Amino acid sequence: MSIARFSPFELVLLQSRSQVDTATLLLLAWVLVNRQPITDGQRRRRLAQVTAQFRHGHELGSVMDIAQSQDLQAIQLASEVLRKECTQERSLSIMHQAIALATDDGTLSLANHYILRFLADLLGVTPETLSTLFKELTGEALKGPEDISTEAYWRRHDPQYYERKAQEAAEKEQAQARAEEAERQQQAQRQEREQEKQRRRQEREEKARAKRERAQQEKAHRRQQKQQDSQQRHRDDQRHQHHEQRYKQYKQRPHAPPDRTSRALAVLGLTQGANRSDIRRAYRRMAQLHHPDRFFSESEQQVALASARFQRIKNAYDYLMQTYR
Amino acid sequence: MRDLYQRLALSPNATPQALQSAIEACQHNALKQDADAVLMLPERRDAYDSVHATVSDIGRLRSRLGLTHAAHWQGSVANDFSLPPDNAISRHDELVDRVSHAVTLYNRWRRFRGTWLFIATFGIGACAGLAAGVALCMRLWAA
Repeated sequence: MSIARFSPFELVLLQSRSQVDTATLLLLAWVLVNRQPITDGQRRRRLAQVTAQFRHGHELGSVMDIAQSQDLQAIQLASEVLRKECTQERSLSIMHQAIALATDDGTLSLANHYILRFLADLLGVTPETLSTLFKELTGEALKGPEDISTEAYWRRHDPQYYERKAQEAAEKEQAQARAEEAERQQQAQRQEREQEKQRRRQEREEKARAKRERAQQEKAHRRQQKQQDSQQRHRDDQRHQHHEQRYKQYKQRPHAPPDRTSRALAVLGLTQGANRSDIRRAYRRMAQLHHPDRFFSESEQQVALASARFQRIKNAYDYLMQTYR
Repeated sequence: MRDLYQRLALSPNATPQALQSAIEACQHNALKQDADAVLMLPERRDAYDSVHATVSDIGRLRSRLGLTHAAHWQGSVANDFSLPPDNAISRHDELVDRVSHAVTLYNRWRRFRGTWLFIATFGIGACAGLAAGVALCMRLWAA
């Protein structure tokens, strides 16, 4: 036993002269509510126009209010009444009215797509009958409802948004390209500056080296002059010998060696004044240290590196043996 | 039409933050793209929500009326919006029950009205007489 009070729609239904008409009225009002661009007054007038020959005998206002609130229980009750007490002809005419109401403005809203199909199922109208009826009434075939839950739907219905988005993306890309260009230029400038700096440093180093050499030469010269002074006291017959000695000294005097020789000496870990036996000893030691066979147990890369080093050492030694004396 | 909320395991009134995180965590790329396009913009979400509410209502109606396997209810809509049948009984039967209950009460009232009226009148008269007697006694006592 329920102690709940009668709902507004139940009261309307009990007071109605024809329950089927009242139930139909509610369902048609539901269809109208889901048709978007329409005011309440227009809705009521349209509903009154369609249901002119109904025999319910009560005000439309209360039913409109119930439909407006989308009261699921009232709609369920109306559907049950309709299913229970509707004849075949009556159901076709209801379908007719529902389609007319739903497509008044030429389009069928998404919600009404589903509502019309629900009514068709409720009233036992087959899909073929429904599409024929729809075609007769509107002159267009009944298409399936569009799927609002996909991106494709919004691409069709909201193209401005996607245009705007594409434009923004293009602008962003341009800005990025510009920024990259600027960065590349900056980098080029930086490199130039660095090169300039390096060149200057080299020049400075060369100057310093030249200065040092000049100083050494002068020193040697002074020493020689001193020797000369001391030798001035010696006999004249020694003069020839002296000349010879000077000539030898001149030849032995370390003038700037070619670059490759000093590099080859550096490879063997020697400095400028090394003689041939030093070079040979250094070469033997380095060759023992860097021979690729020593790295046999390690990775292939290690062996490759060692053989490259060994090659360099051997080249340096060969070069020195040919040219150095 | 799919139920994006159900597929993302969310309720239809989830906050935008919850939606965002659910979409980011989604493994299904097509669903992710669609949900991102439909639910992350407020006006689109409103449009989707209104259709979603109507279609869920229809799904509930269909499950209560036994129309979940009908000719016009197929594809992803039927998959996503067909609810399991709840135990709400037929509204029409309930209405008939309530009306008959009200009728029984009314009839009982009508049948016993004479008796009840007599008893009520007698009771009220007795109470009034008693009250009057007590008042009289009080006054005599005071005098």
